[in-house]
Amino acid sequence: MVTLELTFLLLVVGLAVGILLALGQVYGGKGLVLLSSTYEQIFRSIPALVLLFLFFFGSSFVGLNISAFLSAVLALGFRSSAYQSQIFRGAIQSISQGQMIAARSLGMSKFQAIRHIILPQALRLSLPPWSNEYSSVVKDTSLAYAVGVIELVREGRYIIVRTFEPMIIYITIAVIYFILTYAGNRSLGYLEEKLKIPGFETKSRKE
Amino acid sequence: MNFFELTYDILPALLKGTVVTLELTACSISLGFVLGIALALGRLYGNRPISAFSSGYIQFFRGTPLLVQLFILYYGLPRYDIRLSSFVAGILGLGLNSAAYQAEYFRGAIQSISRGQMMAARAIGMSRFKTIMNIILPQALRIVIPSWSNELIYTLKYSSVAYMIAAPELMAQGKFIAAENFRYFEVFLVVAFIYLVAVLIVSRALNVVEKRVRIPGLQMAQ
Amino acid sequence: MVKRKMGLILAVVVFTAVLLGSSVISPAAEKKVYIVASDISWPPFEWKDEAGNYVGFDLDVMREIAKLQGYEIEIVDIAFDSIIPGVVAGKYDIAASGFTITAKREEVIDFSGPYYSSDQAVLIRKDSGLNIGTVFSEGHKLGAQTGTTGADWIKTNLVEKGVKVELKLYETYPLAVLDLINKNIDAVIQDEPASRASAAKEKKRIEITGIIVTGEEFGFLVKDGDPYGLLPKINEGMLKLRASGEWDKLIAKYFGG
Repeated sequence: MVTLELTFLLLVVGLAVGILLALGQVYGGKGLVLLSSTYEQIFRSIPALVLLFLFFFGSSFVGLNISAFLSAVLALGFRSSAYQSQIFRGAIQSISQGQMIAARSLGMSKFQAIRHIILPQALRLSLPPWSNEYSSVVKDTSLAYAVGVIELVREGRYIIVRTFEPMIIYITIAVIYFILTYAGNRSLGYLEEKLKIPGFETKSRKE
Repeated sequence: MNFFELTYDILPALLKGTVVTLELTACSISLGFVLGIALALGRLYGNRPISAFSSGYIQFFRGTPLLVQLFILYYGLPRYDIRLSSFVAGILGLGLNSAAYQAEYFRGAIQSISRGQMMAARAIGMSRFKTIMNIILPQALRIVIPSWSNELIYTLKYSSVAYMIAAPELMAQGKFIAAENFRYFEVFLVVAFIYLVAVLIVSRALNVVEKRVRIPGLQMAQ
Repeated sequence: MVKRKMGLILAVVVFTAVLLGSSVISPAAEKKVYIVASDISWPPFEWKDEAGNYVGFDLDVMREIAKLQGYEIEIVDIAFDSIIPGVVAGKYDIAASGFTITAKREEVIDFSGPYYSSDQAVLIRKDSGLNIGTVFSEGHKLGAQTGTTGADWIKTNLVEKGVKVELKLYETYPLAVLDLINKNIDAVIQDEPASRASAAKEKKRIEITGIIVTGEEFGFLVKDGDPYGLLPKINEGMLKLRASGEWDKLIAKYFGG
C-alpha cells in the first residue's frame, strides 16, 4: 500500500536528516548552527502542500526528472526532518553535559561519545514526541494526493468518480487512517516501555 | 517575462488569496480555541460520559487527516441535506481539527498548575466553576502561549489544504494563476514566500504577547 | 548484539534504497517506454474501472497507436492542470487527456492532429428550474475544472464582461459534478462527451440544458519541439487506426449509445 510505503520512507528520511541536523545544532560550529536553524525555519514555515508543489515542479525546473512519488518523499521527508531535529535536539540537550565531559576524559572521541553515550539515551527520550510526529507523517501522506501520487485518498477518488457516493468512501478512508495512527502509536508506546531503563528517569515527558 | 515581472503581475491576485487565508486562519483558530478549552475542561473535570466524549473527539480528529475531514464536511454532508459553502466548511474543518490539538495543550497547561490551588480555592468557599474561571484558566492560558503559537502557525499553514474544497485562498489562487501561465515553479515560489513571511510575522507577534503577559516570579517547571 | 544492530540498519538502508530506486524515472538517454500523462477521472475519455484498470477512449487510442508504431507506453494519472507544466518540464512524454487545441497552449507545447471535436455542454440539476437562458444570469454559481476550456469560457464570456456570476474551480471534473448534485453550485460547464457521460450516469438528478458551440478540437500533446519525434508517429498511427476501422470501433465502444 502506497500510503504505508510513503510513511515509512518519510520517517526514514526525516529521521536520518533530523538526527544530523540536531547534532549539527548542538555540536556544530557557528556556520553549521546557522545553516541548520535556517533549514528548520524554512521547512517549518512553508505549508506541506506548497513544499510538495515546489519539489514536484522545481525539480524539473533545475533539470532533474523525478517522479511524483519521489518528490513527495523528498518534500515531506525534509519537512519531517525539520520537526524531528527539534525533538532530537531537545532530547540531546536534556542529557547532562557532564556525561560528555566524563566520556571525553575517559579518552573517548567526541564522535564516540555521541555514538555510544549520548544518542542511545537521547533516542529513548525522543520516543514519546516522535510518536506524535509519526501521526503527523501518516496524515501528511494524504497531501501527496495533490501531486498525483496514487495513495489512499486518490484511490478513494477513483471510486467516487464511478459512484458519486463520497460519504461512505471518505468515512472509510478516515477509519483506515485512524487505525494506522492508532496502531502505530500503540506500538511505539510498547517500544517505549520495552526500552525503558529502570531507575533512569529524566524529567518525565509523558503527559 | 522574467521572475520579477511575473511576481509583480501575480501579486495582487495572490494577496487577495492571502486575505482569505488569514480570515480562514483567524476564524478557525478562534473556533478551535473555544472548543478546545471546552474539551480540555470536559476531559479533566467532566463526568464520565463527557470525559469519554472529549477523549474520543480528540483521538478521532488527531488520528485522521485534515484533507479527509474537509472532504467529508464539504462533499459528504450534503447527502444529509447539510450544505456548507467552501469557506464555512473550511473554517469548520480547520476549527474542529485545531480544537483537538488545542484541547491537549490546554489540558497539559491546566495539569501543570498545582492541585493545591484548586483545594485552597474550594477551602475558602469558591465554587468549582469560579475556581476554574478565576484561578486556573488565567494561569493556564499564560502557560499555553508557546505551544498555542505553534498551533496557530500550524493552522495558518494547513489552511492551504482548503483549496481542495475550492475555497479561494492563497494556495488556490496560486493554482489558478499557474494553470493559466503554466509557470508552476515560479508561482509557488512566490506563494511559499508569502507563507514564510506570514509565519514569521505571526510568531514574532506572539513572542511579544508572551513577554507582555508574563507574570514575573511565576515560572513553570520548564 | 552490535552486529545484529548493524545488520538491521543495513537492511533498512537497502530497503529504502530499493524503494527509492524503483520510483526514479530512468533518464532520457534511451527511451524505450514513453510516459503518457492523463487525468484519470474523466469518463468516457479516461477513468479507472471496477477492476482497477485505466480505461477510456484516449487511453485505448494511445495503446493501439503504440502497438502499431512499435513503442511502449506507461500511463500515469496526474491532475489535469499539472499535465502541461509536467510535459513542459519533461516529466511526461505525451499527454492524452482530452486537451482542446488552443493557441495559448500551443505556445508552450506541440499538438498532434485533431482527433475529436467537441463543444461545451452546460449541466444543471433537473429540479433547479433553470435553463440555458436563465443559468448565466447574475448571482448564479458556475463550476468548472481548473485549467479547462470550460473554465476559460466562463471567464472570458461572463466574468470579464461584467456578468456577476461566481466561478468555482475544481481539482477534478467529478468533484464539480458532485458539487452540482450537492446543490452547492447551479451549473457545470464542461466538454460535451464527458458531460453526456455524467448526465447518463446520474439521469435522475442532472441533465444537459444546452450546448455552447465552441467547435473545439482535441489533440494529444508533446513537449515543445517534439524531441523524440513522437508527433509523426502519433498522427500516422491515427491514420492507420482510421483506415483499419479500429477507430470507429473505439468510437462506438465509448461514445455510441
